[in-house]
Amino acid sequence: MRLRSGPVRAAALLALGFILVRLVYQALFRGLDRGGRVLVDLPSHRLPDPVDHVVLLGPITTQGITTAIVSALPIAAIILAFGVLNGVVDLAAVCARASRGGPLRSVAQALVIAWATFPGLVRSVTDVRRARRLRGERGAASLLVPVMERTVERAVALGASMEVRGFASSTGHAPDASGAGTSAVELRDVTLAHDGGWTLRADLTLPRGALVLLTGPTGSGKSTLLRALSGLHTAVDGGTLAGEARVLGVDRDVAPHATAALVGVVPQHPRLSFVAETVAAEIAFASAVQGASDAEVDARVARAAQRFDLEALLGTATSHLSAGQSHLVALAAATAHAPALVLVDEPLADLDLASRTRVVTALRELAADGTTVLVAEHRVAALREVADVELVVAADDGGARVVVADPGVAEVAPASAGPLDAVAPRDPVTGDPVLRAHDVTLAVGGRVLLSEASLDVAAGEIVAVTGDVGSGKTTLLNHLALPRRGTARVGGTDVATLRRRPRLRALALVPDASDDLLFRLTVAEECARADRRAGAAVGASLARFRAFAVLPDGEGPASDVAVRHPRDLSVGQRRLLVLAVQLAATPRVLLVDEPSRGLDPVAAAAVRRALRATAEAGTAVVIATHDVAFTALADRVLALEDARLVPRAVPALESVAKVRP
Amino acid sequence: MTRAQRALLLVANLVAAAAFAWPLIVPAVPSQAQAAAPWAALALVPIAVVLVLIALDASIRSATTLAMLGTLTAVGAAVRIAGTGVGGVEAVFVVLILAGRAFGARFGFLLGVLVIALSSIASGFGPWTPFQMVACAWVGAGAGLLPGARPRGSAPRRERGARWREVALLASYGVVASYAFGAVMNLWFWPFAVGPATSISYSPNASLGTNLGSFLSYTLVTSTLTWDTIRAVTSVVGIAVAGPAVLAALRRAKVRPESTSETPRSTSRTPESTSRTR
Repeated sequence: MRLRSGPVRAAALLALGFILVRLVYQALFRGLDRGGRVLVDLPSHRLPDPVDHVVLLGPITTQGITTAIVSALPIAAIILAFGVLNGVVDLAAVCARASRGGPLRSVAQALVIAWATFPGLVRSVTDVRRARRLRGERGAASLLVPVMERTVERAVALGASMEVRGFASSTGHAPDASGAGTSAVELRDVTLAHDGGWTLRADLTLPRGALVLLTGPTGSGKSTLLRALSGLHTAVDGGTLAGEARVLGVDRDVAPHATAALVGVVPQHPRLSFVAETVAAEIAFASAVQGASDAEVDARVARAAQRFDLEALLGTATSHLSAGQSHLVALAAATAHAPALVLVDEPLADLDLASRTRVVTALRELAADGTTVLVAEHRVAALREVADVELVVAADDGGARVVVADPGVAEVAPASAGPLDAVAPRDPVTGDPVLRAHDVTLAVGGRVLLSEASLDVAAGEIVAVTGDVGSGKTTLLNHLALPRRGTARVGGTDVATLRRRPRLRALALVPDASDDLLFRLTVAEECARADRRAGAAVGASLARFRAFAVLPDGEGPASDVAVRHPRDLSVGQRRLLVLAVQLAATPRVLLVDEPSRGLDPVAAAAVRRALRATAEAGTAVVIATHDVAFTALADRVLALEDARLVPRAVPALESVAKVRP
Repeated sequence: MTRAQRALLLVANLVAAAAFAWPLIVPAVPSQAQAAAPWAALALVPIAVVLVLIALDASIRSATTLAMLGTLTAVGAAVRIAGTGVGGVEAVFVVLILAGRAFGARFGFLLGVLVIALSSIASGFGPWTPFQMVACAWVGAGAGLLPGARPRGSAPRRERGARWREVALLASYGVVASYAFGAVMNLWFWPFAVGPATSISYSPNASLGTNLGSFLSYTLVTSTLTWDTIRAVTSVVGIAVAGPAVLAALRRAKVRPESTSETPRSTSRTPESTSRTR
């Protein structure tokens, strides 16, 4: 047992403070008049009736002071004793222990979650602070509300992640899945639906031990199918399932935690879903809540760490993992208890090439051991070679979504993405640059991302910046939006010298996490706020948002859209709302980071139309993207490679429709 | 919640309340026991906290509720730790009151206890920690017991008038809670802080009126005019500025208030059942 000196020192200071405070009280209420030499003779004041026993001030004597100090010593000693206790007891470890069982399991688990949430919270505060600067806001609400929204988002993701790993009140036995003859997944005439008319049909059987690839564009329903198989679709997301669904012979009617021993789930955003503070505890979580013995849990953690090559990371905090590492840790955490079916949602998003290779290898090895692995992913190239079965979300004759087991069928998206665009090709825009950024050098953590690069953009021009994950696109845009002195000029004025409103009129950024900019209760209030902040005409932003959200067939957003909560909008409409908010001051330059992230083809097309309309109104537009459909929108394409901006050819629109997203 | 758990919850809260008010209760106990009273108070509150937690632990076994409790605890503790330099417990009341309002009294109570527990993990605990836990828990629970919490669902669509009435209610509660929190925290500590021999010293033999007068003088000087007022102002401003939006965010999370240990859907159905309507 080791005694840490920090808490003891703090307690000693506190004890000293306690004695001093007592002296102050005693002096103030005539408590230091105890004989001995009189040091100060303060005149005393008696308070009036009904508190006439209270006397203020009075003489201070030597003996009075000694008596007061001595009488304070027992309490001071108790404070000190608690300091020593603090120095010996590791409360975080006590909580981690208590969360594994016993009468205070849930409370201790909540504390462990809270402890593990801390670092992420600091990060969200940093991100949201930047977001509100981008919007030109300062108040407490623009900070507190997005941070709370993120907190709620994390709580919901975390709740789901605990649920699928078996966290529940009754540690009831898992449903019997011994029927080895049954298929891994059996869907008979199944229709999944969300309220709002969204449906996905599926009628298929997956054999045990297969590596199954489920493809289809973002937003086509891959995640919904996965969440239906884990039980989250009906239990947490509020969706419905009609038809007959069996997972390893068990009717999918049971709650997610009831099948936790059989089904492992790797969520799309593992960092939101981490329950524990360290990698080892994260991998152990499912086994521990499912009631495995301590020795068994430790053995499983060691095995999983070895399989996924994570031994060196076992003691690392989950909040310190890179994107690639966190996917591997989530895989280990989902499979350590050897479930027969593993559901993996978009494991390759946001990963660099090396991490992708490691994840693909890990998935293949799992399947080789007899586990059924179902991977939803729209970056198919790396996985298609190793997959035994391929499923596609396709459109049937009536245009409805259906999952089919035939890789030859056309996917649902590219067929419709082209016509949706309705953006005619146009001549390249040239002219005097409105945005000039010269000698831009960016480095993060000692790595040089960009060295003495220059970027000039003309009014009305669209420039796309492409590059691999981690190449520095986002850093570049952030740097241009909130630049240091002398790096970015708009219309000849250094952006760094501008005050808030002139800066909003010069340049605006729609960041990757665009939702962080929203903090009002309705779309109308959000737009009105933006109008006021920018000094724009009342109603301008709302009108702009409505215009952006109109589909080519003339169908606009529902008439009540203005009174809806911004976060009740679809992802695509939300992005358009942030675009409208950031365009309130009609900035001369608009920067957009990853405009297509998380959007389905229809929504992505709407964002492209909005960007095109913005450029045609005379704004210089810079987008950072790796989405070909967005690159095709640009007048110029610059690739961020080896710390340089290299000009590239603009892909033609025709070729876009053929490229699988 | 079972009947036994309810009873335990009630008894534990009464014990804690008695321990807070020990200086006013002592004259009623036999004189031989009077000397032991302060130490009994120090020992009883931690026991009461543990009992309440045991009673409430089973009511938060739903994963989403628990996750919400954990993440909000982190927010509360972060707010508290960030505010250490500028006056301590101030803004944390905003979180406690809004969460208690959105998710109910039991959730608010647990959040109060856990926020203090987490900040103690971060910055050390003392004999006052259990008292702080209970006092903060009461602040959260009280917010959950305020009237009119239930027209749930489409919160943002509620008309503006209703929204501002709710904010006014919560802000007024914030003021009351701020001063009440300061007063009860002073009540149990007053005899320890002042010591003997002053004109406002606690005296087991004095009348209730005299002791109350002394206590009021003490609490006025100690915190009512300073910390409690700052806390009341921060609570009002915080609730007014962020209240409606934060409440909407919390309510949209669809955490069932007062979640019981029941899982959303029955787990006992046999795998053979094939027809269903959801």
